[in-house]
Amino acid sequence: MVRAEQTLVVCEQCGLAHRWQVPAEAAVARCTRCDAVLGRSHRLSIDSILALTVAAAAVYLVAINTPLMTLSLRGSAESATLPEAIALAWQAGQEIVAVVAAVTALLAPAAFIALRLYVLFPLSVGKKAPGFAWCVRLLHQAGRWNMIEVFTIGVLLSLVRLAGLAEASPGPALFALGAVTVLFAAIESAGLKHLWWHIK
Amino acid sequence: MSAGLLGCESCGLVSADVVGDDPTRVQHCPRCGHVLRATKPFPLQRTWACVIAAAILYVPANVLPVMVTTSALQRDEHTLLGGIHELWLDGSWGLAAVVFVASIAVPVLKIAVLALLAWTVRRKPAWRRLERARLYRLIEVVGHWSMLDVYVVVLLAATVRFGPLASVSAGLGLLSFAGVVVLTLLATWSFDPRLIWRDHPADGRLA
Repeated sequence: MVRAEQTLVVCEQCGLAHRWQVPAEAAVARCTRCDAVLGRSHRLSIDSILALTVAAAAVYLVAINTPLMTLSLRGSAESATLPEAIALAWQAGQEIVAVVAAVTALLAPAAFIALRLYVLFPLSVGKKAPGFAWCVRLLHQAGRWNMIEVFTIGVLLSLVRLAGLAEASPGPALFALGAVTVLFAAIESAGLKHLWWHIK
Repeated sequence: MSAGLLGCESCGLVSADVVGDDPTRVQHCPRCGHVLRATKPFPLQRTWACVIAAAILYVPANVLPVMVTTSALQRDEHTLLGGIHELWLDGSWGLAAVVFVASIAVPVLKIAVLALLAWTVRRKPAWRRLERARLYRLIEVVGHWSMLDVYVVVLLAATVRFGPLASVSAGLGLLSFAGVVVLTLLATWSFDPRLIWRDHPADGRLA
């Protein structure tokens, strides 16, 4: 196996190789041929990404354990958490829809957080977690399937649509989901490849 | 196309392409062990398969009801477009626009763009490469948003549970629509944007 120069970067979108220069603060390096982003100057250290991930984990636990919304109609009230909503779809005979929702709104975000914590804790003290390469690859997949931001807008949309029918009120999970969406965006902005820069 | 240099999509390390066009050998990244490929496996076949399947499923997704509402007085079936029309009639034009973009515009855009990209790779390889590359990145970014209506129906069915007074359940159209969303995502990921730049004069050079 021939190992090429470390200072090269290949554009993911078009395959053109470039000589790599770390971009200036807040600047973005773009491919000279297809204009895709090659890399950014990363402002987040391993410690700050770890801190954001711990925060995301705490808020995510609130998001899946508290009601998304409560609906009152003539004295009776119904509310549902995210896992309950998925379980109800399964029980109603919509197994495939339930699986799609579970993967994109529940499992992928959970893997997004759990694998990052597993990798980042040892990395913050300069150690490489067992199965590091495998975890980074899985994180790439978790990022692709994670649609928590779409789900958050879905909860808002449902609330608005219910407002005409009955008394609908948002639950704590909706606010937690909003925070999860913002934290995920911040964590994802650092990408995954930079994790390898800290491995000797 | 043997560009000579391959970037690892998992860790970013650049390695020399030692396999070339030999389909029997596979090269792995020396740092992280991820497979290194000049092109994804069977990109056009897989993209066409998913795009055609998504286009077929798109018909029942629009014809069959995605949501069934029952109240003491009546039972109503709502299709995707019907739901948007109701929002529009209620005066929620902003919401109607959001749902229209997520449920109608994004899936149609993805199917049309992927068909165009897969067709031009073979038939018009040199035609507007930069614009085609940008179109691919656009559908990569907006792809997730078509899941919106799936979540809304799941959530409405989970909270509107007042028996004969009022209840909501998912229709068969929702199953087809979820299939369309997943298939268009798989189609996007199986297409290889590097195919757009095949035989480009700059291919294989260092920029």
